Amino acid sequence: MSRLIILVILSLYTLAVEAGDGDYAIFKISPALMKGANAVIRQQDTRLEISSTSKMVYKNHYVITILNENADDLAEFYMWYDKLRHINSAEGFLYDMMGKQLKKMKFKDLEDRTGSSDNLIDDSRYKRHNFYYKVYPYTIEYFVEVEYKSTMTFPAWQPQRKEFVSVVHSTFTVDCPDNYQYRYKVVKYSGEPAKKTEKGRVESTWEVNNLAAIIREPLAPSWIELTPNVKFAPNDFQIENYQGNMVDWNSFGKFISLLNKDRDKLPDNVRKTVHELTDGLPDREKIERLYKYMQKNTRYVSIQLGIGGLQPFDATFVATNGYGDCKALSNYMYSLLKEAGIQSCYTLVNSGPAAAEVDKDFPADYFNHIILCVPLKNDSIWLECTSQILATGYLSDHTDNRLVLLVNDKGGTLVRTPRYSIKDNLEIRNIKAILKQDGTLNVKAGTHYTALQQDQIHYLINTEANNKIKEHLHEQLDFATYDIDRFDYKQNPGLIPSIDETLDITVKNYATITGKRLFIVPNVMTRTHQKFSADSTRKYDIVFNMEYQDVDSVEIEIPKGYEAESMPRDVSVKSQYGAYSCSVKLSGNKLYYYRSIERFSGRFPAASYDDLRLFYEAVYKADRNRVVLVKNEQLKAF
Amino acid sequence: MKIQLLLVILLGLILPPAFSQEPSKIKFGKLTPSDFEPTVYSVDSSASAVIIADIGSTEIVGNQKGSFSLVFKNFRRARVLNKNGYDLADVEIRIYDDGRNEEDLVSLKAVTYNLENGKIVETKLDVKSAVFKDRISKNLVIKKFTFPNIKEGSIIEYEYKLNSDFIFNLQPWSFQGAYPRLWSEYNVSMPEFYYYVTLAQGYQPFFIKDRKDRRDNFVYTDNSSIQTNRETFSCGVTDYRWAMKDVPALKEESFTSTISNHIAKLEFQLAEIRQPFTPKPIMGSWASACKEMLDDEDFGLQLTKDNGWLNDVMNEATGGAKNAVEKAQHIFSYLRDNMTCTNYNRIYAEKNLRTVLKSRNGSEAEINLLLTAMLKKADLDAEPVLLSTRSHGYTYTMYPLMDRFNYVISRLNIDGKEYYLDASQPRMGFGRLGYECYNGHARVVNMEATPVELSADSLMETKITSVFIINDSTGNYDGLLQQTPGYYESNSIRNRIKEKGREDFFNDFKKGWMGEVEMTKGKIDSLDKFEYPLAINYNFRMKIDKEDLLYVNPMFTEGIKENPFKSAQRYYPVEMPYAIDEVYLLRLDVPKGYVVDELPRQLMLKLNEEDDGMFEYRISESNGIISMRSRLRIKRAYFLPEEYDMLREFFNYVVKKHNEQIVFKKKP
Repeated sequence: MSRLIILVILSLYTLAVEAGDGDYAIFKISPALMKGANAVIRQQDTRLEISSTSKMVYKNHYVITILNENADDLAEFYMWYDKLRHINSAEGFLYDMMGKQLKKMKFKDLEDRTGSSDNLIDDSRYKRHNFYYKVYPYTIEYFVEVEYKSTMTFPAWQPQRKEFVSVVHSTFTVDCPDNYQYRYKVVKYSGEPAKKTEKGRVESTWEVNNLAAIIREPLAPSWIELTPNVKFAPNDFQIENYQGNMVDWNSFGKFISLLNKDRDKLPDNVRKTVHELTDGLPDREKIERLYKYMQKNTRYVSIQLGIGGLQPFDATFVATNGYGDCKALSNYMYSLLKEAGIQSCYTLVNSGPAAAEVDKDFPADYFNHIILCVPLKNDSIWLECTSQILATGYLSDHTDNRLVLLVNDKGGTLVRTPRYSIKDNLEIRNIKAILKQDGTLNVKAGTHYTALQQDQIHYLINTEANNKIKEHLHEQLDFATYDIDRFDYKQNPGLIPSIDETLDITVKNYATITGKRLFIVPNVMTRTHQKFSADSTRKYDIVFNMEYQDVDSVEIEIPKGYEAESMPRDVSVKSQYGAYSCSVKLSGNKLYYYRSIERFSGRFPAASYDDLRLFYEAVYKADRNRVVLVKNEQLKAF
Repeated sequence: MKIQLLLVILLGLILPPAFSQEPSKIKFGKLTPSDFEPTVYSVDSSASAVIIADIGSTEIVGNQKGSFSLVFKNFRRARVLNKNGYDLADVEIRIYDDGRNEEDLVSLKAVTYNLENGKIVETKLDVKSAVFKDRISKNLVIKKFTFPNIKEGSIIEYEYKLNSDFIFNLQPWSFQGAYPRLWSEYNVSMPEFYYYVTLAQGYQPFFIKDRKDRRDNFVYTDNSSIQTNRETFSCGVTDYRWAMKDVPALKEESFTSTISNHIAKLEFQLAEIRQPFTPKPIMGSWASACKEMLDDEDFGLQLTKDNGWLNDVMNEATGGAKNAVEKAQHIFSYLRDNMTCTNYNRIYAEKNLRTVLKSRNGSEAEINLLLTAMLKKADLDAEPVLLSTRSHGYTYTMYPLMDRFNYVISRLNIDGKEYYLDASQPRMGFGRLGYECYNGHARVVNMEATPVELSADSLMETKITSVFIINDSTGNYDGLLQQTPGYYESNSIRNRIKEKGREDFFNDFKKGWMGEVEMTKGKIDSLDKFEYPLAINYNFRMKIDKEDLLYVNPMFTEGIKENPFKSAQRYYPVEMPYAIDEVYLLRLDVPKGYVVDELPRQLMLKLNEEDDGMFEYRISESNGIISMRSRLRIKRAYFLPEEYDMLREFFNYVVKKHNEQIVFKKKP
């Protein structure tokens, strides 16, 4: 599926004349654009010359001054190519700080590299180059021209590529026949593009000048919201021999369904198996059984060749070979369900925990992954078909809570996947522990994890052998020296899956016991590591996508003969970010500790940053509060 | 030293062959439903997959190019027990290509077997369409495929033949890996006319180790000229057979140079060509191997040429240098600061040095050969040194195996003082090497082939921290922390500050403090003096809650909070990158209005009788001032598995002491 999004292409060509000596001298950059910058984009002119739905030429010319080694990555030139993209030409120049030309790069100097990494095989390759100059500041200039045989994905234009980079001048031009239709949408950009009409062609140019470097603060919204950008999308487009249109979501869905047409035929033995497994059962049961059947008999293998980056292998291929990528496996699952008389929808999604949101008002190809949606009367069931381990109907943070495109023969519809709320994402822990005279703590911890809070453990216990799980626990647990005596997991699949974890741990020297005192932190296993630095000039909103609740109840039996010397006070903190409370008391020879934290999700104004900092500071401190016990005088002789 | 030790262990454990049913009888495609019965295998009950049989052989046969070829055959049967073992279904075969001729993969077969309703169902790999070729580099092509129809419980088998005209490339054999092996066997037939040295490593015993002599006829033809020449002769052949049974998986743990140093493995090196051909040493001696390197266009010759093109850059680099050492330092830093290292793990220059200088990038070999050339040009006594980095594995002192090396540095001698130089690492000091280079035996490439020992035990990472805290006029604490981290820690801080800035570094320092601490005047010295460790210092103010009792950990942010040795057991040696010596000093005022109620006890701990490590924790009070000293010293970097428990327990004490508190009580 790697190819549904053609990566934002970084380079194009223009008619611009080669710069004369000195044009790129460092002193020509205004101080305002030098401030806080590791690199300055001096100039970038990108042109998209569209001839037809099956041909466009992408030209990029850019000049970047690299101010220090932190921006060396911008000095790297690379350009991908495959069956649908061809690099026509490329040329590069290197200048010193005075703008004097030092070196040239010609097309033949480019290095050629394979693009298959995680994929079993992939026909994409790339060409790269680097001047490897290290006398800062220096300037690089590249011209490149690429020919596309498809117009399905346009490059986006966001002149400011990343933080710590300023922009002097940048333009983006679309040049197309006057009857060619495309759409665009601007963010943080005002005004209309400059237009030129000539000989049946229209040229539209967007332009920005003088954008100062910015810092993307932690927890800031996605980059696309922070600096000016324009996204583009075609109406009619073509890829290999397939024609499509994405003027609205319905049309785009129709195109996808065209690619998938007649790919749902199953071999007879599989059809037979489907009936054996499901005949006579209610729909939900059928789905459950077939999903498990699919999980058991297939695995994820990525092969992306030509249109195969977009079009699934057919169901027979998957049935025979037992593998496929997200497209092939979703299509296979679709075919199994169809055979059992259940209609489902092939669904396009932009996956990942921090994926950019799909703009519902601007249909375009945002997607990089496929899942399956089974619409049922009351509710829909969502199936992630590349996973051999997920519970039926559960999506995880890879694809939850976002707009996705459902596809069927009639077209496409945009809907939202389920959101897991604070009531779903729990970590409920009960600890019973015994503290020995030498400070060793024997811990029995039972933890109930649900929904997004169980994702990591679910993955771990389903993909690793026992000794690996133990190793992982050895890295995860926050103790100095300890042994895991026993661990056990019980999985409870469901729409909101949960896991019950049982751990027996021996922690050496958990408590510090001196001559007459005993120091112990009653919060045994759930101490936050979150801390935020003070920042009085926070600029961007704070975004938390996930919300959750943790509850800890701890009972520690301590050696006899101690009494409280210093007990931490109860703590209770509330803010718009969450609510926290903890308390500890000593009763007889037992310590009882209770802790609860709720962390809310949402988008919070920049001005509230200090609330966040103070909230976590209070939690951090309270989580490490220590109980000090002292030997009871009467028993001292003992 | 280490290698010799391993060899001894290995040879000492050879068992006579037992008369049990030999798994080597396993043949491709010969399966019965009972092969699917086991759900766990006793070799490792938690394994996600097991290799049931891995059987390989190499033969040397005459070819039609007037010489001999290697024929390597491999048959493997494995059982996938659960989904975690699915990665075993992805297979990669490495194919060597010298630019004109490439090794030939033939008769590849791969089949997946599943048991369905008591019957074995076969799914064959479509060799024509489902084997993919990926060119990784000039000399390496990978052919890859994945088994079809994999399920939990599947048995997979593959078999192939690899024909190779590269007689130096006799395939090595690993008896051990990420999955357990029930049977692993390698057969090699070596004719008298090629003599290969066999190198063995690992801790596993052989189940079979056998050799048999016989005679055989060899035929080779030469079709390259118009007239075909056909030669036939008879000569002695030795058939070797090595097998291991029930070999457990070996997994990488922390403090390991590389796991490939520890797995059970055989490798072969062509050492000589013998009768009936004209006898000729191939491996030769260290001296001859080094001489060859010195005469090589891509190595030594580049250093001895006139290199007139260096004149301009020499003037630029050495201008203002007052003596030989300064001259060398200038050349070194010129290259370090102007060149970008694009590839590590090279021992030959792939470009000529002039191009390297001009393009300002090269491999570490190219950069350090250029460094050597420039030093020589400045009439200094410099020589290239070959070594193998830690992650690349050990080298043998006995055999001049040049492909065991993967890294080139330079050795400079000025008035009898030796400097080891590496200009390929950013911010590396003059006369310093990264700890990856300290991997034992290395060789200077000169006529004498001088051996050099770069041992991790010889590296001492010394860290000194002192903290002074006094009462201020308001009854709070006013403090100063001064720290000199070890050289390698300093280097990693330099890299980090370069990347993220000084502020970010101090912010993290600050996060280490609990409670309300205000930091001021953060300062880092020697940031640009790459030869020296850093000197960090900052002032801080700490608010004291005026409680009846105050508890203070005298280590503050500097205590060791975690035992670095996590696993309960260790199956192979601990290889730390360096020895350590960490000293922490504290001078602390008793808070105004308080007296000491309790101090942690003092402790002096020795790691062992030989005093390979010690931990000292001293604390005392006098006239309202607490003085404290903690010192942790580990004198060597290499420890045997038997010493692991001792190390773990030792650190357990360190962590415990570093967690202890001073208790202050309010004056009545």
